[in-house]
This record gives sequence, C-alpha cells and structure tokens, in this order.
Amino acid sequence: MSNSTTHSTGPTDQQAVTPEAAVAAPVTGGPSGLRRILRMLVADKLALLSALFLVIVILCAILGPLFLAEMASDTNLRARNAPPFELERGFAYILGGDALGRPLLARIVMAARNTMLIAAGAVAGSMLIGSTLGLIAGYAGRWTGEVIMRLADVIMSFPSLLLAVIVLYMLAPSIGNLVLVLAITRIPIYLRTTRAEVLEVRKRMFVQAATVMGASRRRIIFRHILPVILPTLLTIATLDFAFVMLAESALSFLGIGIQAPEITWGLMVSQGRAYLTNAWWLAFWPGLAIILTTMSLNLLSSWMRVALNPTQRWRLEIGGKKND
Amino acid sequence: MKRTIFMAGAMLATTALSPAFAQDAGVTIVLGEEPDLVEPCMATRSNIGRIVLGNISETLTELDVRGDEGLKPRLAESWEMVGDDTWRFHLREGVTFSDGSAFDAEDVKHSFERAQSDQITCEISRYYEGIEITPEVVDEHTIDFTTDPAQPILPLLMTLLTIVPSETPIEFTREPVGTGPYVLSDWAPGQSITLERRDDYWGEAPEVASANYVFRADPSVRAAMIATGEADIAPSISAIDATTEMDMSYPNSETTYLRIDQSMAPLDDVRVREALNIAIDREAFVGTILAEGTELATALNVPTTLGWNPDTKARPYDPERAAALLEEAKADGVPVDTEILLVGRTGNFPGATETFEAIQSMLSDVGFNIRLQMVEVAEHEQYYSKPYVDTQPVLVGAQHDNSRGDPVFSMYFKYHSDGRQSGISDAHADELIEKATAATGEEREALWSELFGYLHDEVIADVLLFHMVGHARVGDSVDFTPTIATNSQLQLAEIGLN
Amino acid sequence: MNGMLGKRAISSLVSLLALIVLVFFLSRLTGDPAALYLPVDASEAMRENFREIHGLNDPVIVQFGRYLGDLVQLDFGESLRKARPAIDVVLEAFVWTLWLALITMTLVTVAAIIVGSVAAFHVGRPFDRFASVLSLIGASAPDFWIAIIGIVVFSVSFGWLPTSGTGTIWHWILPISVLFVRPFGLILQVVRGSMITALGSPYVKTARAKGVKNRPVIFVHTLRNAMLPVITVIGDQAAALLNGAVVVETIFGFPGVGKLMIDSILQRDFNVILAAIMVTAVAIFIMNILIDIAYALLDPRIRT
Repeated sequence: MSNSTTHSTGPTDQQAVTPEAAVAAPVTGGPSGLRRILRMLVADKLALLSALFLVIVILCAILGPLFLAEMASDTNLRARNAPPFELERGFAYILGGDALGRPLLARIVMAARNTMLIAAGAVAGSMLIGSTLGLIAGYAGRWTGEVIMRLADVIMSFPSLLLAVIVLYMLAPSIGNLVLVLAITRIPIYLRTTRAEVLEVRKRMFVQAATVMGASRRRIIFRHILPVILPTLLTIATLDFAFVMLAESALSFLGIGIQAPEITWGLMVSQGRAYLTNAWWLAFWPGLAIILTTMSLNLLSSWMRVALNPTQRWRLEIGGKKND
Repeated sequence: MKRTIFMAGAMLATTALSPAFAQDAGVTIVLGEEPDLVEPCMATRSNIGRIVLGNISETLTELDVRGDEGLKPRLAESWEMVGDDTWRFHLREGVTFSDGSAFDAEDVKHSFERAQSDQITCEISRYYEGIEITPEVVDEHTIDFTTDPAQPILPLLMTLLTIVPSETPIEFTREPVGTGPYVLSDWAPGQSITLERRDDYWGEAPEVASANYVFRADPSVRAAMIATGEADIAPSISAIDATTEMDMSYPNSETTYLRIDQSMAPLDDVRVREALNIAIDREAFVGTILAEGTELATALNVPTTLGWNPDTKARPYDPERAAALLEEAKADGVPVDTEILLVGRTGNFPGATETFEAIQSMLSDVGFNIRLQMVEVAEHEQYYSKPYVDTQPVLVGAQHDNSRGDPVFSMYFKYHSDGRQSGISDAHADELIEKATAATGEEREALWSELFGYLHDEVIADVLLFHMVGHARVGDSVDFTPTIATNSQLQLAEIGLN
Repeated sequence: MNGMLGKRAISSLVSLLALIVLVFFLSRLTGDPAALYLPVDASEAMRENFREIHGLNDPVIVQFGRYLGDLVQLDFGESLRKARPAIDVVLEAFVWTLWLALITMTLVTVAAIIVGSVAAFHVGRPFDRFASVLSLIGASAPDFWIAIIGIVVFSVSFGWLPTSGTGTIWHWILPISVLFVRPFGLILQVVRGSMITALGSPYVKTARAKGVKNRPVIFVHTLRNAMLPVITVIGDQAAALLNGAVVVETIFGFPGVGKLMIDSILQRDFNVILAAIMVTAVAIFIMNILIDIAYALLDPRIRT
C-alpha cells in the first residue's frame, strides 16, 4: 500500500457505495435530469452551500490570477506580517500580510488556481487511466486481468514519497510533474473499483442479453457498463479531490512538493508554520481554505452518493426532512 | 527524570516546574537532527561534532572560541617545528581513555592513519587532502608529523583530528572510546543519546554530570521544549521564535551568498555581476526576514577569520546604477535578457524561501530575467558542485561555514579554478590561494587579505550577502552562552548549572 | 481457505518482487549518495572511495544481483548512513509504528462504531448532525496543521502535555490524537451509512415491528450485518498507519518507520528504503489475512 500521506479515502467509500450503486440501472440524462438534480441540491441545504462555495473557489481559481497576479507577488516589507482585519492598507490586506508583506487574500486567491489545477489534474488523470485499466482488467482474459491487478498492487505499495522524490528529481519540480506523481498514486483506487463493478455488471441480465444479441464489445462497454459505474466513479472522484489536496499539502509540508515561488494552499500553510506563534494568520487562512474546500467536497460527495443512486434518490426528492 | 513531572502537569503551571527538578546535574539538549553515527573520525560533521567533540573525544590542539587566545593545547602540551617540514607535538601525560587504556603517541599515529584509511570514509581526512603527512612516533609522549609540502598550519589542522585508542578497528564504531570528560552511556536510536561524566578524566571535572540529547526536526518544537522545561538547551531555534529573555543570538559563522558561475553569459561580464550585487537591498533583510544582528558580508569568511579585509566595503544598494550597468552591458552585446536561474535550498536556514523570493523580486526590478527554483538537498548539491549545469546561467544560493579561523578551509574549494564549488577561473586568484596556503605568520595574513579584496572588488566573484546569526534558547536552570563554534561543537564542560 | 492463502501469498510475493525491482532501479536514478553523504568540499578521490566501499561503482544490474543474492540469505544489506544492518534500523522503527497503529486503530474503531451507530439510530437528529459535521471537519483538516496547533495549545499554552518525543504514556497522547482524527471521520461515516442500510433491512424492520424493544439485541444484530464494509475501511486505514505516519512522526520526533522512510529517501539510503518496504509489506499482508478471518467469522457465507 502506498505511504500514509496519500492514503485512501477512495476504496473505503467504494465499499460502502458498491452494493447500492450496483443495483442502479443506467442513469439517463437530459434537460429534465438537470432540473431534477438542481431540485435535489436545493433539498439538501449543506450540499447546496458546499456547491456554492466550490463555485466561488473555482471562479477565484479562474479569474483571480487575471486581476491579482501582481498584487500577490509584490513584496512590501513594511506590511510584513500585517495583522488581519485592518483596512488601512486596503481590502486586500483584510486577512493580513505574509512574511514578505504580500496581501494574504490575494495570495490565497492566486494559490487557489494551482491547488485546484493540481488536484483536478491528478484526479482526472488517475480516474481516466485507472478506470480504463479497470475496464480492461474486468473484460479481458484472466491473465491480463491478473497482471493489471498485480500492477495495481505494486503502485499501491510504492511509497508515494519516494515516487515524488524520483519524479521531481529526474524531471524538475513543476506543477505538471507533481500532478503526475499524485495521479499515479491514485490509479489503483479507480482501477479496483472499476474492475469490481465491471465483473459484477457483466453478470447482469441486460448486459448478457446485449451480448447474446451480438452487440459489439465497445457498445456494451460504453452503452451499458460505463453508465452504471460512472456514478460510483464520480462519487469517489469528489472524495479523492479532497484527499489529493491534503496529500499535496503534506508533500509541500515535507519539502518535496511544489516549491516557491509557485504557490499552493498547502505550501502557504507550511511556510506560515514557522510564524505560528507570532503571526498565526499566515498559516491559518490557507489552512482554513483547505478545510472548507475539502469539507465541501466531502459533503457534496455524500449528497451525490444519494442523488445518483435511484434507490436512495427519493430521500432528497421528498425533501431533506423525512430521511429517516 | 523531568518526564515524570508530566504526571502532574495538568495541575501545575509549567513555569514553576523547571527549577524544582533541575538539580539533578543533568542537562537535556535538543538538536535538530539525530546523528547517524557517533564516530570520532566523523566529528567534523556538525551533528556528530556537537556531541563528540570535546565531550567524548579530544584533539591535540583546540581553537579558543570564547577568548582570543588562538590555538590552545589540549592533548598536546606544546608543539614546535623541527626542520622545515616537520612538526613535533609533546603529548600530555597521565591521560587515559574511557576504556582504561593509557594515551600515548601510538594512539595519535593510529588515529591519524585510521582517519586517512581508504577502508572507511572518515570525513576529517578531507582536510589533509593533497598533503603527504607522515606521522612518526619519537617516544611514548612525542610524535612528529612530516609533511610535503610544508604545512604551516598543521597545529590548526590538529584541532580536527579526534584521538582514539590504537586498538580501535578500522571500521565505524557505535561505541566510541575517547579521552574526553564524558562517555557515551546510552543510545536509543531515534530517541536519545546519553553521555555520562567520567570519574577518571585527566582535566578538571565539568559541572554537568550527564547530558541527554534529543532530536526534533521542527525549530518551534525545540523552542517550545525549553519553555515547557522538557529540555535545557536548544542551540538552534528560529529567529521568529527568539522573542523571550531565554533566547540569545550569536554569529554562527555561516555566510549566505549567491555563487555565480562565470563561465556562462551574461554572468561572465563584470558589469552584470556588479549589477547583481547592487540590485539587492541587503539592509532591508536585517531585522525583517532575517534576524537582527545579521551582518552584511564582504567576504565568504567571517570577520574573526585570519586575513579578513576591513578595507573591502559592502557595495551600497543602488538600483538605478544597476539598471544603468545592465543597459551598458546590453549596448555592448551582452545577452542580459537571458533567463538566469536562481537556485535556493528549501529549509537551508530559517526564512530561506522568503529571502530568495525577495532577492528574485529585487533583481527583477532592475531588469534581470530571474527564475527562482527552490530545491531539496540532493538537487541543490547537483547545482552547487561541479560539473555545473551548462544549459543556462545559474546563481546558486548557498551557505558556507568556517569557524576554524583560517580561510584555507574555504578558499581552495570556493575560488580556486579546480575547486569543486568555484565559480571563477582566475589565474591571479589561484596564485594567491596557493601562496597563502604555504605562507606563515604575517605574510599569510597579508596574502589572504589581498585575496579577499581582490575577489570582492575586482573579480566580483559572487554575490556576498550575509553573515548569519543563530539563536539559542537556554532554560533557567543552566548557564550557557553560545559561541561562533556552537554549530559544530558544544562542549558540556562549558555549561554551568544554576 | 488454505488454498486461498497460498494463492494470496504467491500473488503478494510477485507484487513485492516487482516492487523491489522498481524501487531498486528507480531510486538509483535519483543522484549519487556519495555527494550527499560526504561534505560538499570532499575530493573526487574520497567520493570514489565511498562508492567503492559501498559497491556503488558496479553496474546497477550487478548491484541488483548481489542484493538479491544476499536477500535470499535474509541479509538486507547495510545502511549507507548508519553503518549498521538496514533491517535492524527498520525493525527498531517498525516496533514504534506498530504500537502507534495498533493503539490508534483500536481507539478509532471503538469510538467510530459507538458514535456511528448511535448516529444511525438517530438519523437527522442533533446528535447525528453534530457527529457528522465534527467528523467531517476532522477528516478535512491537514494533519500537520492539527499537530502544530495541538502543540501550541496543549503543550506550550496550557503545559498539559509534552511537546514531542517518547518516554512516558503522556508523550503518546498528542500523536495519537492527531492520527485519530482522519480515520475516525471516515470510519464513522461508513459505520453510520452501513448501519442505516442494515436498520432498513427487512429482518430488522420485522423485529422492530414484532415489538422487540430490546435495543441491545437489535444493535448487536444490525451491527454484525453492517460490519463488512466497516472492516474493509479499518483495514485500509490500518495499512496506511503501518506505512508510517510521516508527517506526525516528523513533527513529534517519533522514531517510527515513516520518519525513517522520509529521512532515508532524502539521504538516498537505498538499503533502508528497501528493507522498510519489505517489512511493511509483510505486516500488511498479515493484517489482510486477519481481516479475511474477521470477514469469515462475521459472514458465514464467505467461509467456504
């Protein structure tokens, strides 16, 4: 299994989810589907709040750098460790200044982009590769399946810290390479889930019927199997997004992740740590940003678990109150 | 020991605790990293030296870091030159090792040969590199060292040679035997190392009966441990935490500088190098990112070093002139727009990242195209030592520590054409280094002085930044003042108890 | 079950071998240990000598052959840095990690099952909400963050606990509390979810409808059925802890395998890295078997 800094939330929920999700029939999309999802979101206040918060974070990540890049990198030693909640230096300093007098608010907004980019890249990458391998492992012959599963074992047991050092040493510490490291370590989660689901779904009536009726393997995979397992994968991905964010911050903390002058929330916490006793806000705000984002993702993921599952969906459609 | 007090910890205020329990004549010292070995011949490595040097193992001579006596006798009572290339050391009599055996000239000979052996990689042997040294036992308490070429500073080099008994096998030991006032009594890997005072030490018995070394990577945890009374001395804490009256600052002999690889354009142009130097507002760092007391450097070595040149003055901060110099160089076809990589090491010193970020921003302000890259230790070594990266011009931020009083321990490596970290290749500098290394007395001092001036004023060999200060936190129950050598040694005999 | 075990052992061994090969070759691409071990101004001759002594001059494939040859005789090689057998260094550290994992997981399991079940019995009520939110915050916070705040608050400000290190039972409280938070949040969620499902199952409904008022009876039966997914999560979390809690061990100066691992990686102490990987792999293998046994005990259907 991989080293503790990047260890699994994924498979845990996979277990909790699988039995229910496996009962699900393919989810159908369409415009009415979207409205339905929105209605379900409104029914769960916490999930709604989380979704709104995440939208704000994403907006910051996209738009922030356009306006704040300069402000976030301009050093100003007079505003060094400026305390929060003072407006005399302007609104950007509402959360205080960092050790070089750069406004923390601007830096947090700037850092949102890298943080999101890394987590999104790693999650998308591992989900894509992992589920593809999982599909192959579930559909191909015994030997191919076996080899792929052993590969998953090896990746699981490869110490992620070592992987990080190897990749960053050989390929220079850049965002892209960090994404690569994190993506590799998360592949087994998707691979195993996908394979387990495929093995299960293959046995179901409608798939067997399609096979008997001569549907091509591709058609079966894309029309019948993927739609069934996608909700599970998405739920895991949401959780994993939170997990990857924490893993990235832990790597930064240990000094083998993203390096200055690049900036992520995790790196901000780790740099602010030295000042914790006399300028707590340096580490506090980016830490809070991590916690709030991770929490929103966790909440959203548990909402999705219900919302994407037809046997549970009624709980939300009736309204949040009567769910016991 | 003091740990038991935590049983009652919830009921008591912490400040009340320390004095009541400090009378056990033992001290606890918290260090940043655990040594991999407690091997005398590795004592020049600071994390080993702090435990071994002067405590477990002793040397023939030692440098007076508290006063200005210079070189003092330790295991040798006196020394003199006999002939052009031979030093004679008269050894102290009546000294025994902690295993009971007597100390004599054979032990010195064996210690030297063991350190030089190619069967183990003793770190101290690097200081004897390139010198043919032959030890010869004259009698039980006299030993000659014949050197080729002549070594005027051999007695100084002897401050590094830790003496072990002649029976010591040529492999790394985990049970070091020495003549020092303490003996290693316990080593729980990952947790602590304990030294106990010896009864049969030849010199005056130190006050501290035992020392317990513990290791915490995080500087704020180290500082907190003194505050809570869990430890008595933290020789190195962060300047940020050094705000109480238990804390004291001391010049720690580290010099921070940017090494310039002059083989790459545009760094081969002296105007560009001057511009680098005057574009950085060094004063602005002191008392902000770096601690109060940090001094601006004009040489790689600290002012207490032999030959340090008081006439070289730090270049004043002048961004306009820097920009103008760059323009001038550009007009002459120097590719000043080339991206220059600035490499810093994460955690090199407290505030390292902030320092390099600020330098980057100052250099960019005058028109340099600087990219900052912070790296971990192994990558840093790749940039710092030859062969250098030759794909783009590089500035390597590094620290150099020489508390041994003579520039010879720095100059060859950092400025000679063949030095492993030298950024220059300058015939005159090479010549000065070679001449100074062989010279003695005032001539030596003058040559070093000339070299310092030449490097700083004419060659502009590097961007010299700061002589750093360290911060120590010392609990109320002990009396200890850090010195410039505290980084590399911490003699328990210098600790008093209150 | 024996056949299963044999097959499992073989496939684990295959994975482990592949892992050793990968780690052995890849880690040797990350720079020269001699450059890290020796001071920056050491001469080329000293470096050469260091490589010679440690056999780093031979072609990597020769080094690997030699390593495997020693390995079959259970010789894990010497630590480059510490000049002692790598396996001694690792086992010493592993004992600490094992205790840390064992104590933490026991506490987490007991606490999560109790709180999670109670929450499941009171879905949507204040207790459930409170437990959910609390566990969520815990699971969302970076552990180094909690650790440092913990030291600042409990050791420095209040002076209740030692800041770090080992020695007394008090030294364990902060590291365990920090390690407790995340798995607790996760397992709690799974227990709760699983219990809600089990409580909704026909036989529990029937029992309740029949007027079985005895909550303990319902609780025990439901729990038994709800435990399968929970055990998987516990296994996962325990495996993560057995790999060493790098961040927590580093901050608290805890001499476990995680701290050893990060130090060895940064110093390129190859033999220690490999030995640590093998020791933890064996431990995790044993733990997985224990988990299978637990499965079988809980669910008679699997016991074939």
